[in-house]
Amino acid sequence: MIFAPTLSQHATAYLCGPVRLSLNFGEESWHKALNGLLSQYDAPWPEPSADIFIAIERGTPPHDFSKPAGNYLRSYRLHVDRQNSHLVSLSNVGVWMDFDEVEGRAKILVPESSDNETVIEEIEQQLVLLLARVWSNEGWTPLHAGSLIAPRGKNCLFVCAPSGVGKTTLITSMLCRNWGTLGDDKVLLKNENGAIHARALSGRVHLHPSLSDWFPEIGEIAKWPRYSRWTEKRMVKMEMIWPGQLLEGATPAALVQLERATRDEAFEVEPMSFGETLHTLCRQIAIPSDAEVAKPLIASAAALSGQLRAARLFVGNNVFADASNCLRLEKILQELLP
Amino acid sequence: MNLETDARRWKLRDDVVVTVVNEGAVMLDLESKFFFSANSTAWAIAEMFEAGATRGEVHEICARWGAVNGDQLTIDETIRQMIAEGLIKPTDASRASNQTGAARKWISPSLQKHREPLQRIMVSAFDPGLPLAE
Repeated sequence: MIFAPTLSQHATAYLCGPVRLSLNFGEESWHKALNGLLSQYDAPWPEPSADIFIAIERGTPPHDFSKPAGNYLRSYRLHVDRQNSHLVSLSNVGVWMDFDEVEGRAKILVPESSDNETVIEEIEQQLVLLLARVWSNEGWTPLHAGSLIAPRGKNCLFVCAPSGVGKTTLITSMLCRNWGTLGDDKVLLKNENGAIHARALSGRVHLHPSLSDWFPEIGEIAKWPRYSRWTEKRMVKMEMIWPGQLLEGATPAALVQLERATRDEAFEVEPMSFGETLHTLCRQIAIPSDAEVAKPLIASAAALSGQLRAARLFVGNNVFADASNCLRLEKILQELLP
Repeated sequence: MNLETDARRWKLRDDVVVTVVNEGAVMLDLESKFFFSANSTAWAIAEMFEAGATRGEVHEICARWGAVNGDQLTIDETIRQMIAEGLIKPTDASRASNQTGAARKWISPSLQKHREPLQRIMVSAFDPGLPLAE
């Protein structure tokens, strides 16, 4: 399928790390609704290495299409198949995407629906799928992890945890102690000259308004826009709170897997083996069920595991209410870094 | 199945992704989403199955690496584990060269299944995790 590169008055380009997306929005309201997602990948990058054209139009999937079975990837919202050089994806409410990887063009068709919020969320999911694929095609491995860099340091420590365990709180506590970061939940990895290097992707962090209670220096978080309807978290520009602390890149050297403590200790540290580190990293990378695509992602995680000093970090309840615990935490993290 | 009398040729499934790590390998079964850590000998056995091999061929090559009669049980145990986990399947392919690992040093094979599988259904194409309640 060939998509004509027609641009309407609703055409906009976004730089998303190493990729430039040129989008043609069929409806102006979609542009406004998707701007939050697309403008978040705003960390500084050199010239983009890939240009992708996307047309988002009102419509339903072609009558001769076969419904994706999820052979490439399944998420809560999407069933995705890979058909030769095309990624074909259908969302729960019927948002359909055909991404031609060779041509660098995608078409997203949006059905009529009374549930506009869900429709927008599912267009977002299609765009995230496309971006993850293009980043991977450009040799980058998307890692869903926070990161910290000690003051004047060049090595970064990854913070891995499921959503809700306290990753952003831990990162906030160290940012308030002048640590740097490549972001609170997204980073891109690349093998350069035999070592894995990490780069920042987004200059935004996702902060819960209650963090202002523990870290009053960050100001009132509630005034920032909500990240999504499913969470109270706000999307905050790092520069507005921690100027100069978003760094462009670093060499990964350590990892903590954050877990909630079951005992009374504020912090407990338990070293992790190579296999455990690899397993943890692979749980933070969306690995498609397509061997050709999965192989370089796993190879990247394996290479990274070899250069990390990793530990499970058990964090007690309300530890950040006591400022002295931040100093203890800082020492633990510093000891993991070279 | 009586492995000792089994003459079938077995092949590593195409959707088992192998990544060489140090002297061994990690294998991810993309269907079950389970990881397996293989030491150098278990990886060498798996490597034979990449091209397709019979039990007899595996034993023959292991003997060249230094396996003795007492090692036959652990070799069979590793093959049985690969069959039970569905990592290898019978194939009609003819004998491959089996040149792999000709100079390997023999150690007892070990194939360890990781405790938890990777996520089958993800939050998004960037975030594979399961969200907890905020």
